[in-house]
Amino acid sequence: MQEIWRALVQAVNLIVSLDTEVVQISLRSLYISAASIIIAALFCVPIGSLIHFHDFRGKRVVINVIQTFYSLPTVVVGLLVFLFISRSGPLGGLELLFTPAAIIIGQVILIMPMLTGMTIGALSGVDKTIRDTALSSGAGTAQAIRAILFEARFAVVGVLILGFGRAISEVGAALMLGGNIRGYTRVLTTAISLETQRGDLVLSLALGIILIGIAMVVSVIMNILLQRY
Amino acid sequence: MKTLLINRIRRISIPIVITCLLLGAILTGCAPAAPQPAATENASDQVTTFPIIPGTPRFKIATTTSLYDTGLWNYLEPMFEKKAGVKLDIVYAGTGVALEYGRRGDVDAVVVHDPAAEAKFIADGYGINKRSFAFNHFLIAGPADDPAGIKNLTPEQAFKKIYDAGMLDPNKVKFISRGDNSGTHSKEKLIWQAAGLKYEDVQKSGPWYVEAGKGMGPCLLMASEQGSYILADISTFLAFKSKVNVAPLVEKGDLFLNVYDVIEINPEKVKTAKMLPTAKAFTNWLMSDEVQDLIAGYGVAEYGRPLFNPLKGGGCAEAGCPKLEDYTVQVQ
Amino acid sequence: MAFLQTVDLEQRAGAAVLLNKVNLSVERGEIFTVIGPTGAGKTTLLRLINLLDRPSAGDIYFDGEKITGSSGNVVQVRRRMAMVFQKPAVFNSTVYENVAYPLKVRGYHEKTDRTRVYGLLDTIGLGGYAKRKAKTLSGGEAQRVALARAVVSKPDLLLLDEPTANLDPGTVKMIERLVMDFNRERGLTVIMSTHDMQQAQRVAGRVGVLMNGRLVQVGRPGDVFFSPGNARIAGFVGMRNLLKGHIVHSKSGIVVVDVDGRDIEAVSDLPAGTAVEIFIRPEDVVLSKLASDSSARNDLRCIIRSLSSNGPLCTVIVDCGFPLEVLITGKSAVELELSQGQEIYTSFKASAVRVLPSMQG
Repeated sequence: MQEIWRALVQAVNLIVSLDTEVVQISLRSLYISAASIIIAALFCVPIGSLIHFHDFRGKRVVINVIQTFYSLPTVVVGLLVFLFISRSGPLGGLELLFTPAAIIIGQVILIMPMLTGMTIGALSGVDKTIRDTALSSGAGTAQAIRAILFEARFAVVGVLILGFGRAISEVGAALMLGGNIRGYTRVLTTAISLETQRGDLVLSLALGIILIGIAMVVSVIMNILLQRY
Repeated sequence: MKTLLINRIRRISIPIVITCLLLGAILTGCAPAAPQPAATENASDQVTTFPIIPGTPRFKIATTTSLYDTGLWNYLEPMFEKKAGVKLDIVYAGTGVALEYGRRGDVDAVVVHDPAAEAKFIADGYGINKRSFAFNHFLIAGPADDPAGIKNLTPEQAFKKIYDAGMLDPNKVKFISRGDNSGTHSKEKLIWQAAGLKYEDVQKSGPWYVEAGKGMGPCLLMASEQGSYILADISTFLAFKSKVNVAPLVEKGDLFLNVYDVIEINPEKVKTAKMLPTAKAFTNWLMSDEVQDLIAGYGVAEYGRPLFNPLKGGGCAEAGCPKLEDYTVQVQ
Repeated sequence: MAFLQTVDLEQRAGAAVLLNKVNLSVERGEIFTVIGPTGAGKTTLLRLINLLDRPSAGDIYFDGEKITGSSGNVVQVRRRMAMVFQKPAVFNSTVYENVAYPLKVRGYHEKTDRTRVYGLLDTIGLGGYAKRKAKTLSGGEAQRVALARAVVSKPDLLLLDEPTANLDPGTVKMIERLVMDFNRERGLTVIMSTHDMQQAQRVAGRVGVLMNGRLVQVGRPGDVFFSPGNARIAGFVGMRNLLKGHIVHSKSGIVVVDVDGRDIEAVSDLPAGTAVEIFIRPEDVVLSKLASDSSARNDLRCIIRSLSSNGPLCTVIVDCGFPLEVLITGKSAVELELSQGQEIYTSFKASAVRVLPSMQG
């Protein structure tokens, strides 16, 4: 119990003193997870919207498959991506292993099923009449999808925040693909893992508190922006 | 209906494919390099620069956890980066995994401490120019009241006693193994062998033997929690002494010698290994006076004794120590 | 060909047949009402016309061109129509943005939008509501917004699916008036569905009765109302008091029908001996304490079985040897001092009795 209190104190200390290494690690976590969610969203929101909007044979099956992949074990994804981007793997020439890009790739793969499936879920929560209203008002498919997305915007933003949270808290794949290299691919989660391994539990907890803090700030900011519109 | 849907998919996929290509280009640079043939070893280091961090080439090594957990690399890393003008990326993993990274060419050099595995690694052609640069010892630690009564025995004797006592009463006597094919784990297997026991038998013999699958630090913490015996290297043990509740019980024995080696990855065998000149510079640097002196002083202030021992100056005097040429001859 | 024409239109859902060979013709500029009970297929029909769904069989022609089938640009066709749904549907934005939406998707200019939208808001009585959040509107206000949104793009055809269901009478009137104004001032063709016969009477130029997926009768409201094609239609348009009997006497267009032993005079050309079903509207029956000396040809003495008031009116069930439902004003009920078990005279004109040949036999 004492550790939690000491961790809180240390967390505040690290933030206030702008400890360079912690700042660097935090910014890196933020940048990598933001990139992951943006890239994943660019694919998943349109694809999810299209799947939701159209009725086709096998739609139920597709949605079920997507939902199954919610539970992708991160270590498995990490391993598979590793085999691909290792220098002796098929994409080895791209020199991706042990770089921030590798972490982004792993995280994107991990959150894509969740983002797609939950976008579909968010859109399903919108009244069917909205779709009809948009179409009968003369909207084309893309315009109608935009109208539905707009109606579901709170839910969709919620999905994005969830995806971001999932990305920023990723450890297994980040470790395996990034290598936890100091000053290059060390992020908050892998740093926590290292400090735990080193026995410095207080520092681990402090970093954890900072991670939660970042997630909270992101969530608050996104909600404020949402209210404006 | 179906044709309309297919048309829509076509119309959306084109922008998606374009986005993919754009992103791919951004993330990976526009010219992925083909693996360099070994003949260009004399040419300047051409490494595909990673566009997100342009410029400085990156030299990757894999190192064992025990070296990492003591914080030695935090010291050495900036020194080498400044000296060689490259970015030193240190990936840590157990010896087994580190060698695998080496085989795959994902790193350009490895720093490990498992002579048998290293010999095979070199014999198979993956590694070249092995040099040693530091050494320390293992020890057996355990609960202060020493329920198995191993204090001051030889390593083999101690292990035998732990085995017998553990089989008898696993609640009283336990042993924690790294269980991860690390250098420490390999040493542990050697000692079991020397104690006259087959490792497979020990592994399955009973609940007193716990395979943790973790790094040295966490295993020490575990041993402390559970009141178990454990084989640990002196450096990690000292670094963790204040955090754990285990006492050093057996500290002397030939088998305890632990030598740290650096091996470069052979670009002729591993086509994707890069930066051989840098690797050579790295090896030589580890053997240099500068580093050897630093190692001699590392940890003295905090722990009263250095965590690692340099090889230079003949510090290693027992049987099994590396030969002079192994730690002094520069790599060309 | 009519402005909007369906040819043998069919819609199936699994084994159920929702629309069965519907041939609907709507002329340009008219207000056509589709009436029918819930589940008759009215919504299905309108959705097909608006190309929101595809028919299982049959075609739809709009302004001379076939709009069903895989050819043709669905969006372009829809942009000439507009639809208002039963449930007031508004986007989660301001009233202005809602009404302006059809203009936005057509890429119109900001300037054209503003004048038109504000003008329409005034017309529907919501001037000043432009910046209000649409979700805060009442049902009636939201439906008016939906109506404005439908006409803002100056469509050629306006479809309304039971637009006033569940709204208060004031709003119902307002919406009916707006629809009729839009139709008259802009020459906007209207197809509206409703289950309220009175509404059809107020609003429509022509009426089509849809029952169980079939278009069973088309005509002016008066025609359908007073001359229902069959018993089911009759029942739907408010004809109650369905009685079975047979014609015993026929002369000069007046017949005498024997119903359970009692004679009823009615207007019909059917010959004697025909088995018939007769209908009498509850509001066509007059009650009085004494035998009436009016020009009504039917005067029966009956006993009051039950009384129930609904608003300003009162429904009285009497037993004349056969049951009869009578609708009178509450005031009359009080003046007559009606009570259960009381003897009362019921009278109704022969012309108030509709006669149709019996469905069976």
